[in-house]
Parts: sequence; C-alpha cells; structure tokens
Amino acid sequence: MAKRISVLDRERCMGCYSCVYACSRTWGRVAGIEKAALRIKSYSGAEGFFSIRVCSGCEDPDCAKACPTGALRPSKRGFGVDLEKKLCNACGSCVSSCISMALQWDEEDKLPVPCRHCGVCASFCPRGVLGMEEVERA
Amino acid sequence: MSFRMLSVNLSTGKVEFEDVSDLFSKYIGGTGVLSYLALKDLREDLDPVSPESPIYFGIGPFNGYYPSASKAVAIFKSPLTGNLGESHAGGRFFMAMASAGIHVLRIVGKASCPVYLSIKDEEVKIIPCSSLWGKTATATERILREIEGTKRGKESILRIGPAGERLSRIACVTVDSSRHFGRHGLGAIMGSKNLKAIVISGNRTLRISNWSEYQKLYKEIFDILAYSEVSLKYRDLGTASNVIPLSNTHSLPTRNFSQGFFEGADGISGEHFADEYLVKQIACAHCPIGCIHMGQLREMFAEPHLFRTVRTSYDYEPIFALGSNLGVSKAEEVLRLLSYVERQGWDVMSIGVTLAWATEAFQRGLINTTHTNGLVLSFGDAQTYLKVLGNISKGATEFYRDLERGLGFCVQKYGGEEFAITFGGVESPGYMTGPAAFVGFAVGVRHSHLDCAGYSVDQEFFGKASDPYVEVEKLYKESLWRMVTNSLVTCLFARGGYTMPLVLRGLRVLGVEETEESLMRKARIIHGMKYLLKEKLGFSFDSLKLPEKLTRVYTGRGLVSHKDFDDRVKLYKDKIKEDMAFAQEELKA
Ligand code: SF4
Ligand code: SF4
Ligand code: SF4
Repeated sequence: MAKRISVLDRERCMGCYSCVYACSRTWGRVAGIEKAALRIKSYSGAEGFFSIRVCSGCEDPDCAKACPTGALRPSKRGFGVDLEKKLCNACGSCVSSCISMALQWDEEDKLPVPCRHCGVCASFCPRGVLGMEEVERA
Repeated sequence: MSFRMLSVNLSTGKVEFEDVSDLFSKYIGGTGVLSYLALKDLREDLDPVSPESPIYFGIGPFNGYYPSASKAVAIFKSPLTGNLGESHAGGRFFMAMASAGIHVLRIVGKASCPVYLSIKDEEVKIIPCSSLWGKTATATERILREIEGTKRGKESILRIGPAGERLSRIACVTVDSSRHFGRHGLGAIMGSKNLKAIVISGNRTLRISNWSEYQKLYKEIFDILAYSEVSLKYRDLGTASNVIPLSNTHSLPTRNFSQGFFEGADGISGEHFADEYLVKQIACAHCPIGCIHMGQLREMFAEPHLFRTVRTSYDYEPIFALGSNLGVSKAEEVLRLLSYVERQGWDVMSIGVTLAWATEAFQRGLINTTHTNGLVLSFGDAQTYLKVLGNISKGATEFYRDLERGLGFCVQKYGGEEFAITFGGVESPGYMTGPAAFVGFAVGVRHSHLDCAGYSVDQEFFGKASDPYVEVEKLYKESLWRMVTNSLVTCLFARGGYTMPLVLRGLRVLGVEETEESLMRKARIIHGMKYLLKEKLGFSFDSLKLPEKLTRVYTGRGLVSHKDFDDRVKLYKDKIKEDMAFAQEELKA
C-alpha cells in the first residue's frame, strides 16, 4: 500500500520552509517556494504556531470534484489527485475548493500543483515534523 | 543572473524599475552594491530625516537559492550618528524581495499623510493608512497581515512603532514576527517619510541552470547547517547561551559596564529562559537553523483573575541590555521590558545602554527627580524602568524626550561622557571580553560586534599574552570576509557552513565565476568604499576613544588601557587606509 505525506508532529515545526523549498526545487526545478505543493502558514506576532498545509490525500477529493474538465482526478494510488495538464483550463476551482488550502497554484504556468506524496519535503525537515504514513484502507 | 532596483519616491508617487545587474557583477550584491550606491548618494550636509534622505534595502545572489541566506541589508544615513547607517535583518523580507524580483529597494521622498508601501511583483502602491499611525509595531503587523495576507504565507511586513513616528534616533524597523533592522535609527527615517510600513510579496520563480549540481550542493550546505556542530548553539539555547560563560569570564556588562561578572546571571541565563519561558524556537524563512527563541510570560494584570500572555523573542543582546546591564536579574522582568520595547519599536540595545547611563547619571547627581518626574532610578528596579519607558513614550518631560534621541545627544546636554558607553556614536554591544572587542566596536564599519567579532578574538586569547599585531590582523580579516557574506547575503550564524570553497561553488552553480583572488579583491573594494563613505560623512579613526570608564573595569582579559586601545586602532587604520586607496583606484578605473 502506498504511503501518504503526513504531519507527524506539528508542535516541532519552526517555520523554516525547508520543506517548501525542497518541493519547489525538486519538482518545479526552481529555487524559492513558488512551485511547491505545500505551504507553511504562520500567524502574525510569531505566536509560535505554524499550520502545515500539506495535501491530506483525500479518498474523495473536493479538488477533483470541483474540476470542470476532468484534468484533476482522484489518483490511481487511491488517495490524493493527479493532474493531466493539457485538460486544465486554469479556472482555479480546484484550489479554492480545497478547504484546508493545501492545494497550491503555480502562478507562472497557471496550473494547480498537486502533491505527489513523494516524501522529499519530509526528508528536508530538520525537525521531524513531516513523514510518510501507511494509508489505512477500509 | 539579472538584478533589478525598484525606486519609489513617496513625494511624487513615482515608481521606477531599473536593471542593476552590472553593479551586482562588480560588487557581488547586498552590502557591496548598497555601499556603492550610498557612496554616490549620501552627503555630509544631508539631513537623515529629510525627504531627500534615501533608504536602501538590498539582497544578494544567494538569497532565495541557498539555506540560511536569509538576511537583507539596509543602508542609510544614520539619524543617530550622522554617519553610515547599516543594519541587517532576517525574517522573510529577503524571500519576498527575491520573489518580487527586486534586489535593491530605494525609497526617497515624504508622503503627505501616513502611508504604507505595498509591493506585489510589478504592482507598487502607496496606500494611505492614517488609522495605523500611533499603533504599536505589533498591532500594525496584525492588521496588515490580515488585510494583505492573502498570499498564503508569503508576504513580508516591515513597520515602525510609535518610536519611529516620533523620530526617535534609536527607533528600529521591525520585520515580520520578531526580526529587526535595529541599529542606527532606521525607524526615524521611515517615520520622517510618513512611511508606517512596507508590505512586499512576489510570485516569481528563481531559475536554476545547473539543476543536478545545485541539488547536490544544496544538500551539502543544508546538512551542515541543519545538523552539524556549527549551528548547534543557535538551535539549542540560542544566543542566550552566552550569558553564563560571559559572566564567568568577567565579560558580561553589568550595571552600566561597572563589572563583567553579574551575580544574578543565573536568573537571566539561556538555560533559565529555556526552562521557564521558552515556548517555541522558530526560524527565518529558508533557514534550517532556527535560532529565534520565543519567550512567554503569563501574568495576572487585574482582578478578578484577568490574565494576559506576552510573547516576545529573546536573544543574548536584549538580555544584556535590559538584564545584566540594568542590574535586572529576573527573566520575567527582562521579558516584560522587552515586550514594551518591541511594541514601541526602539532598538533594544540602544535604549538599554541609554537607560543604564541614565541610572548612573542619576546616582552621580547629573540628573535628579525634577528631570525624571519624581522617579528614582536604581539598578535592578525593573518596575521603575517600565515606568521610565512609559514616560519616554508619552514624552512626559524634556529629559524623557531626550532619552530617545540616543546617548550621544544626552551626553552633550547632561554630561557624563566618561561613563557613556558608546562606540562611533552607537550604544555599545554587550561584550566586555577585552581589547579586541572594544577595538572592534570602535573601528568596525557599523560599530557592531558583528563587524569583526572581536569578542571571539578575545576569547581565543583568554589567559594568553596579548599580541596586538596578530589580533588586529584577525579582526581585519574577519571584517573583510564579512564583506563577502554580507553581500551574498548569508546569515552570520551560518558562517561555519559558508566557507570560501563552498561560497565559490555556490556562485559557480548560479553561473557566477569567481576565484578566491577575484572575490577577495571585491571584498577589499567594498571594504574601502565603506570607509571612504564613512570619512566623507565625518568619521575619523583619530577621534576614536575608549570610553573612560572602560579603562577601569576588569574585562575578560584584564584592564584595557587607552594606549593599548589607541595602538590597535592605529594598526587597524593602516590596513583600512590601504583598502581605501585600493577602492579609490578601482572606482576611478
Ligand atoms: S489537494 Fe486538498 S482536496 Fe485535493 S486531495 Fe489534497 S487535500 Fe484533498
Ligand atoms: S510529498 Fe512531495 S510533492 Fe508532496 S509536498 Fe512533499 S515534496 Fe511536494
Ligand atoms: S521543514 Fe519542517 S520545521 Fe521547517 S517549516 Fe517545514 S515542517 Fe516546519
């Protein structure tokens, strides 16, 4: 069974964005955070809490349901979504339908950035916040 | 690589983008490029808080590309000293600049009403914000984060507190949650421009030409910074870990630099802060070290059981400035004072050192209760210090208004120069390790402990015979190397990782070919330009003086004499003169 990226221990997060940079660098081949499939949200005043918005690997993903062209579809791996770029009309419905704001938008290519559940971000987290988790099946 | 400068004129509303890639190829970036621009722009007769006075912010070629290249540089004419003002800050400002494709941001002019500057990629807006005027630095961030924070955690927010609005010469600019352009009074310049805040974000991608090399090098640097010894201290207790070792070696300034041993050090140690008050370690964007330590104070402020929670980031410097140097030995009192300072937006070191001087001036009778509106200043009396800060904010008396004009001003008016601990017109950093530290503060480009790390030279020579030549050479070399790292712009806490070979490889992967020689040549030009600028604005090595009081206190390396100090300054001056001549030649060419 495939593994899914997960937030193992949110409390340890220090908001360094190493994970975000890792995803963008590895899959988007750019430096920075623009092509990453996750975000770390921080709150004003560095209240010291971070919210890690990474794909939940939904089994019945809202983002795919919102997609009018069928470009974003539930992935064959059984959770999360895959994107067929040429079907995408850049309407952005998928992004706004992901209530946890995990699904990101690539401003440059005008495409959503679905998570591949590859674990690269986790391997660059110096604090062990992220990890891969076996997906339980009913 | 190509680099752009955005110029904004707040008087006319004019906004201009221009390619400055040639400057980056000549002067690396960051502090190098800004020094060049400032050398052309800043004049001795320029009033730092006038509309013409420019503010420059800059980043360098490593920002956005490599971990812990997480700083940005600000250069301006200091309202505190009238000389070169330079300050560096982390947070995510560098990231926002990089992703907006703006490598230098130049601001001049004065808006006709309170405004904030909003930059989103190419979209630059000057937005009236009268309702923010008078708000604390912390409240301003909360509000702007809400109105501008649609970017899912990308925007960076710089702002001043009320201190900057009052043109306090020691006002800072606060960046995001807890970082600062602290020193030299940048906050006053923003205040003088009616510029309450800057909000910046961008959507640009940073291209990588040599992807597999880049990935490999990145991982190498990342592993050093995230996991090795070179950054452990910062990850664990943070800079506050210095308190005990410094006190144990007579190097922790205590009660206005009266002694280097603080009997109350245990109460304000990094260990104690961590045990009792640390709630979170956080990091600047793109930095796996995570040196920022957030302390939390929970206190009942009224009946019936009304509580507030105060969260403030702490570090060694604020602990020295509001702790040992004021004789305050309780961490919670340091946090309370610190959070007040944070909200007002003063540079914590400047205000702390000024309060310490005021206390001694009071005890010696130079000022009395008529000046202080009845308050009795005593070392260790944190409650009164809190009232003093309140009175400064309110401008309660002339004396209180003077206190936020910095120590240099106060000394001219009230006397007490012999125990005013300033270097180059700047309130001293918190190291009494010995002659190398003092000389470093005096000769350094920004009169900071970060210029040439004299404290670490002292520490190396603890218990050993002095060797002024060798020591000064070390100071000089460190200062020169930091021209490189401050141009790239990497964090100083990552200096253990960014060695010459890694820097050269880092540049090569980004398509910039340098050798050790060519890079150090640029470093010398930058170094020289800075002192050319400093002298142009009135700085002179010959007028540097060791504050009288410091000749009588026992430092980590014993007593420091005027002669020892002057001799070392002279040695340093000779080295700098060579760099200045070198830079002058190069600039002509
Ligand atoms: S992007 Fe959002 S909605 Fe889509 S699968 Fe991931 S978490 Fe679920
Ligand atoms: S699991 Fe892979 S694709 Fe998903 S956010 Fe992490 S690095 Fe990006
Ligand atoms: S790498 Fe880890 S600690 Fe850093 S922001 Fe990501 S989850 Fe948080």
